Amino acid sequence: MSFDALRADATMPIALDIDVLAGAYPDRPEPARPIHTEGVATAAVASLRAALSDARAGNDEVLAMTAPDVLPVAAVDLRDPLGALAELERVVGRGIGAVRLFPDEQGIEPDFPSMRHVARHATGLGLVILSGGDVRRFWRPYAGLGARVVFLDTHFYHLGDFLLVARDEPGFHTSTRLLNSPDGLELVAESVGAHRLLFGSRTPFDEVAVPRLRLARSGLSAEQIALVAGGNARALLAPMTTGEPT
Amino acid sequence: MIIDVHAHWGPWFFTAGASGTAANLAVMDRYGIDRAIVSSSTAVQYDAPSGNRALAEALTTTDRLYGYVTVNPRRLQAGERDLRELLSTGRFVGAKLHTEYTGSPITSPQVRDALAMVADFRVPALVHTWDRSVLDLAALCLDVPGLRAVAGHLGAAGWRHAIEAARACDRLYLEPCYSHAPAARLAEVVAAVDDRRLMFGTDATLIDPACALGSLIGAGVSGPTAERIAWRNAVELFGLPGGLTASPSDDGQSH
Repeated sequence: MSFDALRADATMPIALDIDVLAGAYPDRPEPARPIHTEGVATAAVASLRAALSDARAGNDEVLAMTAPDVLPVAAVDLRDPLGALAELERVVGRGIGAVRLFPDEQGIEPDFPSMRHVARHATGLGLVILSGGDVRRFWRPYAGLGARVVFLDTHFYHLGDFLLVARDEPGFHTSTRLLNSPDGLELVAESVGAHRLLFGSRTPFDEVAVPRLRLARSGLSAEQIALVAGGNARALLAPMTTGEPT
Repeated sequence: MIIDVHAHWGPWFFTAGASGTAANLAVMDRYGIDRAIVSSSTAVQYDAPSGNRALAEALTTTDRLYGYVTVNPRRLQAGERDLRELLSTGRFVGAKLHTEYTGSPITSPQVRDALAMVADFRVPALVHTWDRSVLDLAALCLDVPGLRAVAGHLGAAGWRHAIEAARACDRLYLEPCYSHAPAARLAEVVAAVDDRRLMFGTDATLIDPACALGSLIGAGVSGPTAERIAWRNAVELFGLPGGLTASPSDDGQSH
């Protein structure tokens, strides 16, 4: 075997990548890659401008993206909870079906009132929440709301904690991005079902070939792999991906 | 041919599945990895002598795994005894030092003494490095005659320090395993470091090899450089048999 022999699996087709970012972090080099990745049919794109500086302007930027492979995702600023609640109302009116929260980047703790209120309001509006933050702490503001959440930063070190809370919360899902133990994906599928796994890459800041290769060579069935590679995300974001109004 | 120079044998304390030799071979077969040099997870995390001896037993059951003798820098006498006894079996080809579990930074006197002892045994040392500590390892390499060290994780998110470290000392080697996969990390390393000083490592069975493999593939590594990273440099540094053949599972098919 050689590295080249694995290249096909490292570029496996992805129907929907739940974790893509437009823009740049001011404290990091400019991303070397675009948000568009060959073989990725649809990318759920959120704006770093919205997360770091100006939520309304950033959200308008992703809403204006007309490429067919872009599925716009809103972001709000948890440092301005009143503004965040208003922005949720505004973007729902523009047809957005998912909001991404950036508690780490915004210095927000899980017990801050803004987290709980934004989580409750987003859920009430029918939004899917794509959540950053350590799942061992950030499960709490979403618990008991009937929220549909995708935890984007679930590391395999913390997988046991995710599985415990996912048993109680049928709307809790996880990205595959950091489930990089030899049996992380398989444990989720076995414990709470493969429908809780969504492919996420954090393009362009992380290497997309890693979660692709991990998924392609996983112990999941072909049917489960298809669900993780986009089927689950399409179902979760159905009104957005089918063009129906939210 | 692919040789993994940073792997482990034994259980982990995280939520995880099976451990043991069969688990090692299964994860190697998943990606067509032919050989791996492993340290005992118990030796790294808790008790080096008992972990080393359990690993020695396991190595008698397969020829696809080689061993690292884990040395706890705070237990130098035990480390010397383990190196003397286990290197002579021919199944152990290097030493492993973990700096965090043992509370022993690379700049500590005990790590310096441990690595000087390893150098006296004329085997390479795989040393855990994180962020700037890879620079400390390069400095120590320059200070300890004959020491050949592999910087485990190549500093993780501190890969730019690893580039500087590798340029500072020609007896320092880099291997890339890391549970995160920042874009451009390995492309920058491969572009900046002599490819005779780069190794392939995964941290399996803690981390799935997809992390290192996907990062290398994403970095566009191919041709002679890929071959050096995949196995040639490992054969040379660790003195592995030149006639190594691919494992029976190396059929070029998906696993």
